[in-house]
Parts: sequence; C-alpha cells; structure tokens
Amino acid sequence: MTQVALITGGANGIGRAVAHRMAAGGVTVIVADYDHAGAEKVSSEISSAGGRSEALSVDVTVGREVKALVTDVARRHGRIDILGNIAGGSFYTKRLEEFTWAEWKEVIDVNLKGTFLMCREVAPIMQKQKSGRIVNTASNYALTGSPTRIPYSAAKAGIIGFGKSLAQELAPYGILVNTVAPGPTDTPRVMAKESAEARRLRWSDIPLGRTAKPEEIAEAFYFLTTPESGWITGQTFHVNGGLVTP
Amino acid sequence: MRLQGKIAVVTGGAQGIGRAIALGLGRDGAKVMVADLQADKAKGVADEIRRSGGESDAIEVNVANESAVKRLAQQTFDRFGRIDILVNDAGIYPRALVVEMTEEDWDRTINVNLGGNFLCCRAFIPAMRAQRSGRIISIASSIAHYGAQEGAHYAASKAAIVGFIKALAREVGADGVTANAICPGIANTALPRSHRSEEELIQRLRSNPLGHVLEPEDFVGPILFLASDAGSYITGQAINVNCGSYMV
Repeated sequence: MTQVALITGGANGIGRAVAHRMAAGGVTVIVADYDHAGAEKVSSEISSAGGRSEALSVDVTVGREVKALVTDVARRHGRIDILGNIAGGSFYTKRLEEFTWAEWKEVIDVNLKGTFLMCREVAPIMQKQKSGRIVNTASNYALTGSPTRIPYSAAKAGIIGFGKSLAQELAPYGILVNTVAPGPTDTPRVMAKESAEARRLRWSDIPLGRTAKPEEIAEAFYFLTTPESGWITGQTFHVNGGLVTP
Repeated sequence: MRLQGKIAVVTGGAQGIGRAIALGLGRDGAKVMVADLQADKAKGVADEIRRSGGESDAIEVNVANESAVKRLAQQTFDRFGRIDILVNDAGIYPRALVVEMTEEDWDRTINVNLGGNFLCCRAFIPAMRAQRSGRIISIASSIAHYGAQEGAHYAASKAAIVGFIKALAREVGADGVTANAICPGIANTALPRSHRSEEELIQRLRSNPLGHVLEPEDFVGPILFLASDAGSYITGQAINVNCGSYMV
C-alpha cells in the first residue's frame, strides 16, 4: 500500500526537500503550505520526477483550516501515514523588548500552535490505523537560545517538550513521534538575508566546517518515517554538523 | 546497497548487537572486518557474510590491548586497503555494587568499554583523516543516561563514551569525519541475560511505551543510516533507540 505523507511548510527550504525525499521513497506527498503557488510548484516538480504529489493551502495557525485540510486528505486518500510539521520560521531578529504582542504570538503560533493543531487533527486518524509517524521540527536555537530570536527559541524548545509528551500518549497505538532539530541550513529564506561569506564567518565554529544543505536535513526526516527507525520515539535528532551536542 | 564498496570494522562483532550490525553492514554492501575476543564466533559471522555473497574477514582482538588494536588496524589495511566505517561495539557488563566493587572490576570495565573506544579510534583516525572521510559509530547504552543498579562502572564507561564521542566529533569534523553514539535500550541479548531470570528479563524488556522487546536487529537501521550518505550532517550526537523508555 502506498503511504501518504502530509508535509506542512512544503513549499520552500527544508519542507520542500523533505517533500522531494519522501516522494523519491515512493510516498504520496501532500505539499501543504500558506504559499499555495509555492506548494503547486513543488508538487509539479515531484510529478515531473515521476512521484505522486498534490498541493493544498493551509494556514497552520487557524484551527478550522487545519481541520478542513486533514479531513479532505483523509477522505480522498483514506489514510495519513506520515505527518511532517515543517511550517515555521523565526521571522524577526530583534531584542525582546522590541517585540509586539502580535509579533510574539505570530512566531509562537506558526511554530508551536501549528504543530499542536496539525497533530490534534491527524492523531485520531493514525490511532484508527494503529500506525503512523509524526516528525516535528525544532532548531539548534531550542537548545542554545539566541538573544535576537527569543520567541523562536521558546517555540522550538516547546516543540521538543510537546513531542515527548505526545510520543507517550500515542505509543500504545504504535504511533511514533520524533523531532528533528536542524542546525544552520542553506535555505532560500536565510540565503536571501545573508551572504554566503557572512554565513561562513558566523558559523565558523561548526565542527564539520560548513552549513547544511536542505537535502541533508531531509534525510533525517525521511529516516524517521522508515521501518529502520521503528523503535525510536520521543527523541530529538540534532542534525547540525556538531554545533550543538546535548 | 547504500554502502557498496565501503570498508567497515565492527569490534564486538561476534555476538549480540555487534553481530547484527556486522551482518547488516554486509547486507548493505560493505566489506566487513569482524573483530572480537571470541575468534571462532567472529569467524562464524564473517563466514555468514561471505555465504550471503558479501566480503568479510575475522580477527581476534582484545580492544583494551594496544598492540592487538594496532594489529587490527594493520590487518584491516592489508586486507581491504582502507577504513570507512568504524563501529565500536566491544564491551563487557560485569555486575557489582559500588561498595563491593573491586578495583579489578572497575579497571577492566572502563578499559574495555571506554579504553577500547580510545584505542580503536586512535588507530583508525589517521587513515580517515588522510582520505578526508569516515564514520565512527560507538555503541553506548541507555544506561549512560539512566544508570543501573550494580552497574556503576558500566554506566560510567557508557556515559564516558558519549562524552568522548562529542569531543572527538569536534576534533575530527574539519577532516570530514563524523562521530556519533547509539544508546540502545535494554535488549534481548546475552549481556543482560547473565544476571536475571528469563521471566524477569522479558517483563523488564517489554516495559517501555511501545511494549516491544528490543532485539539486536532493531539497532541496525540507525547504524546504517549514520554510516550512509544520509547521515552526512550528523555528528557529536547520541541517538536513543529505546522504544521511548526515556526521552532526552
């Protein structure tokens, strides 16, 4: 039976790479993103490469949109085997006292609440199947903190705590919940803000001596959906070139 | 076959988790040097890999013996020409309360479990550096995080492996070499069986959130992942494969 994966934030960066990796592994990939045109583009890239994919729109911070998305996918595909919660971002880099309440909520909601809402809707479907894999996305900042990304660091650390709890709740149903914490990754979003040289200098303390390609992060997401990782749950995979070794 | 043509060394490869890893590496295309104190059993594993169409050899080695480890490295280079993957699995698990523990118990456990990691890494890293690639994967234990009654020396050695690997990752990263540890949950192998009744053991093995009894084969997938191209950006980490029995 072909597996069905729902990937949020699949239009760009790490999400796009994860969508491609899953599709290459024979999984039907639903690319869900706020950026519908971007999701359509990734979906058609996958189809052109011989994979199965479709694009859907969602704002993961809006409960009824999340519910509508999950209901629609489950009705048409009959199952959801994999949920990759990758929608997120830090959006702002500034001091805490400069954050408005609206900005704070935006960062917390896209990263942490979006993960909660998606899991809440997908978990009952996986419980009925008595199987499923959920992979959430944290960040090196969840562990190290950052003076200019305080809500983002809080949200990402929150995702790790959330995932450990959900892993315990869903273990009796054979559903595995894990988190990938990527280190600095060369996504279009960060590359647009910072030159390659500036990035190289800022991350010169990474033991592997370079930042990650999105495809390298995607491999960890994919691994956590395969039978080979069948006895790993509640864990965080730090894919960061050795930057943080908790 | 993700590891076609790669050369792997597995210490403690004669039985249990090490044997499963050696066979798994062989299935995925690697040529495997099976190293173990139990020479006959190691040879049996190498034979098994060859019978399934792979390439393998066996060598007797005490990983806590400096000259024996040097011989292991030399024979690996003589036989296969290089080293791509080093799996440090050799270990012992004697039982004793701290107040009753002899100095000999302590030294032997630390020297084999932790010292073996040091000697084997030291022997193979220069070749990995020269080729600017290599994967070091050490088998620690959930006991590194959790502790174990009558196993303070074992817990200390396994926690130390995790610290050793984190430091090593920083030392060899610039040369394209990664170093990681796997922390297996308590598994159905000869190690824990030696000091528990069968009934006690199975009950304990099953008492995890997934209710699954971990078998040596269950750790092979994560090892192959770290050894393959898919693990290229992971270094200095301890990967917990424990059915959710604890989450760090």
